[in-house]
Amino acid sequence: MSELQLGLLVAVVTIVVLLTGVPVAFALGFVAIAFLVAMEGTFALGSVPNVLFAGLDSFALLSIPMFILMGGIIAASRAGADLYEALERWMYRVPGGLMLSNLGACGIFAALSGSSPATCAAIGKMGIPEMRQRGYPTSVATGAIAAGGTLGILIPPSITMIVYGIATETSIGRLFLAGVLPGLMLVALFMAWGLFASWRYGYQIVNPELRFSLRDKLVVLPKVGPFLAIIVGILWVLYGGVATPSEAAGVGAMLCLLLVAVIYRMYRPADLVHVFRNALRESVMILMIIAAAELFSFMMSSLFITQTLAMSVGDMDVNPWVMLAFINIFLLIMGFFLPPVAVILMAAPTLLPIVETLGFDAIWFAVVLTVNMEIGLITPPVGLNLYVINGIAPDVRLQTILWGALPFMLCMVVAIVLLCLFPGIATWLPEYLMGPSI
Amino acid sequence: MFIAAVRRISCAAGLAAGLLLFAAVLAVCHLVVVRYVLGDSAIWQHEFVTYSLIGATFLGSPYVLLTRGHVNVDLLPIYLGGRARLALALVAAVLGVVFCGLIAWLGAGLWHEAWAGDWHADTVWSPPLWIPYIAMPLGMALVVLQYAADLAAVLTGRESAFGITSGTHEGT
Repeated sequence: MSELQLGLLVAVVTIVVLLTGVPVAFALGFVAIAFLVAMEGTFALGSVPNVLFAGLDSFALLSIPMFILMGGIIAASRAGADLYEALERWMYRVPGGLMLSNLGACGIFAALSGSSPATCAAIGKMGIPEMRQRGYPTSVATGAIAAGGTLGILIPPSITMIVYGIATETSIGRLFLAGVLPGLMLVALFMAWGLFASWRYGYQIVNPELRFSLRDKLVVLPKVGPFLAIIVGILWVLYGGVATPSEAAGVGAMLCLLLVAVIYRMYRPADLVHVFRNALRESVMILMIIAAAELFSFMMSSLFITQTLAMSVGDMDVNPWVMLAFINIFLLIMGFFLPPVAVILMAAPTLLPIVETLGFDAIWFAVVLTVNMEIGLITPPVGLNLYVINGIAPDVRLQTILWGALPFMLCMVVAIVLLCLFPGIATWLPEYLMGPSI
Repeated sequence: MFIAAVRRISCAAGLAAGLLLFAAVLAVCHLVVVRYVLGDSAIWQHEFVTYSLIGATFLGSPYVLLTRGHVNVDLLPIYLGGRARLALALVAAVLGVVFCGLIAWLGAGLWHEAWAGDWHADTVWSPPLWIPYIAMPLGMALVVLQYAADLAAVLTGRESAFGITSGTHEGT
């Protein structure tokens, strides 16, 4: 059997095993061990625990639980609600202003939490009931939040970007910076659609009795400001190369812990146990997949599948863009069934050599991949954001949310096209601030 | 009785994992203070943090299995109903148990070698390696135990397969 046929067999077996519903981490590990033993005999088992251990034996991995913890702390506080109210007070007279302030709040909260479901939940809890009460159609109210929430994984700091950076050994500071402009572009696209829809379908619901003084508009700043300062500080530290992501995130998590205690009076153990429990669950889930994915790539390269795959793609006489389109469709389909971190951990180490052979930039590809994953977050069957919305507004049917989110999904497709036409949107900022990548 | 006992154990392991995670937060803050504020060189923090995280991952795994936090593809489980879903849950559990059991066994071998050979990390701090190595066999063995308890709960009808009660499922 040639390496390529073997690779195909691995892919098919992996899909079959995943479909049984076994956890992704155990599925990857099982397939890896099965193929190692089948091809190299039982003596290959000797290195298995070492590979698993080595997969986790890295200080850089600490950045994952630390960023999750930091985002979780902020998400558990009232910061999301405050942010939403603040923006509403600034934009209450703009037609469709409520939708716009929701989208804007999602964009900013994305920077605070680094997670899409967390963004969706924090802004949606306030935003969805408010929008529905003020007469926005339910589909628009829920769709906007579902889509706005996806910004969490694009706008830095983003947990999926960290995972990509670790899985592919790419600079996390660069990845974060690369997400800034595309994130702002996506917010702008979302808002442009919001404005257009408000004008076209008449959601100019402006409440004339509503008046906010400048004091009302500024009162929330001291509450949310410190959190934003921490995030900006972390980005500054990362692109300046002052500290490693793990150190920055660890201190950031600690500072957030202190800030919520002071600003939101969240210091009772009961408040924090919940946050720690969730952070632990998500971190363990991701780290187990990282360990198993290490074993999986070990199997793939021991059997020369990874190398052969990248080489034969290089030999193939296909248009790189056609190939890239296929890769993106493949990732999109994976994204329908799995959360972004799982897709990235499984696919990125194998796909990145191919993508680089085709002549694309690793940082740019990370951004395209992330926008692609954002689409997967609001499509069934495993759209995490859809479930979050379902938790906030249980009476809204899935089709209604999807219908409202559809225009925003199209915005994301437009964003991917723009990124392909103008790669600089992603690569300019990191190269300007950190110099060209080597 | 068995199910409740295993759940207790898994929760205890989860608590230990949570404490390790919190210890890692404190250690990394200590590291930053020592390195950037006091300008000293850090000796033990990197290794301590890394090993804590490895410990938290393996020891937290049974708790995460208990609370269904391990991500899976639940397309077929949702689509299939009744007996087919139950059969699929059995297959999935067998796959999980085979992998985790094997890792527990192999990990125990590695741990024993490190313990008997008195292996130490090749660093300044030089901690004995059997301590971080023990997390893998211990955690994975507890995962197998938790799988057994989950299966017992499903087969005795106390819980539905994959924890799916209706068409919807809870996202994390």
